[in-house]
Amino acid sequence: MTKSNMQLKISNRLHVFRAEHRITQEQLAKEVGVTRATIVAIEGGGYNPSLELAFRLARYFKTDINAIFSVEEENNEQG
Amino acid sequence: MNKVNVLLLRFFLWGLPFVILLAVFSASYNEQLIVSASYYIRLLYNLAGFIFAVWMVLSIYLGICLMFSEKFREKVLAKLTLLKERDEREAMLTGKAAKTTMLTTIAILLFLFCLSCFQVSVYSVPPEQAINGKSNVISLNFKFSVLKDSSPAISSDVIKKSNIFEYNGLPISGSAVIIGLIMWQIIAYNYSMRRFMK
Repeated sequence: MTKSNMQLKISNRLHVFRAEHRITQEQLAKEVGVTRATIVAIEGGGYNPSLELAFRLARYFKTDINAIFSVEEENNEQG
Repeated sequence: MNKVNVLLLRFFLWGLPFVILLAVFSASYNEQLIVSASYYIRLLYNLAGFIFAVWMVLSIYLGICLMFSEKFREKVLAKLTLLKERDEREAMLTGKAAKTTMLTTIAILLFLFCLSCFQVSVYSVPPEQAINGKSNVISLNFKFSVLKDSSPAISSDVIKKSNIFEYNGLPISGSAVIIGLIMWQIIAYNYSMRRFMK
């Protein structure tokens, strides 16, 4: 398997953290300095945040970045 | 963006409806009517002319400012084109939408370039001028000139011919093409942005 056939899938537990902290998407967006649409996109897996935003989210929830975001390897090899 | 530029920009934008009104007024009144009009009407007309002259100079000045001042350009044109970059995701989507807009604009420009350079003429010549017994001729030309040149590349006085079809470049003016492209850029950017935001 070559490196080019491997894709990294980034998943997150942002909605879980948000529920635990009883905070709305709007409030979280305000706290980390983005729009609510961006939080919606991150939670839905439609957008992978920058390292800076990921660290800001982790810092807000007082946790490690790996606790919120995790990476899985996906094999796209065909034939 | 300095305060003088803000003030001039406001004057320019507030003057826009006035200039449109002036254009409508000029179209409906001819010079003879103005000359024979009362003193106050003439004074009003002269004042309108002065404001229009100031507005014209302003448009040149603001155009140059928009080209060379990055801050001014981003502040003014971002508002005019409804550009939004409130966070990193929107900045990324703006980049994607701008790429789509740029590529489609280049595609349109290439197409317009072809249309403006190609010349096609289909005509029939008298039987005595027929080539190999064929009197119907199709003539294809590629015309490109840096400076404005109104003379057609296909000479019409050498051969006596009756035109069946003739195409001598784009039938629309340069100003119409420019305003069309400005509109296209704004529409294409906003459409792409909405599509990516979903």
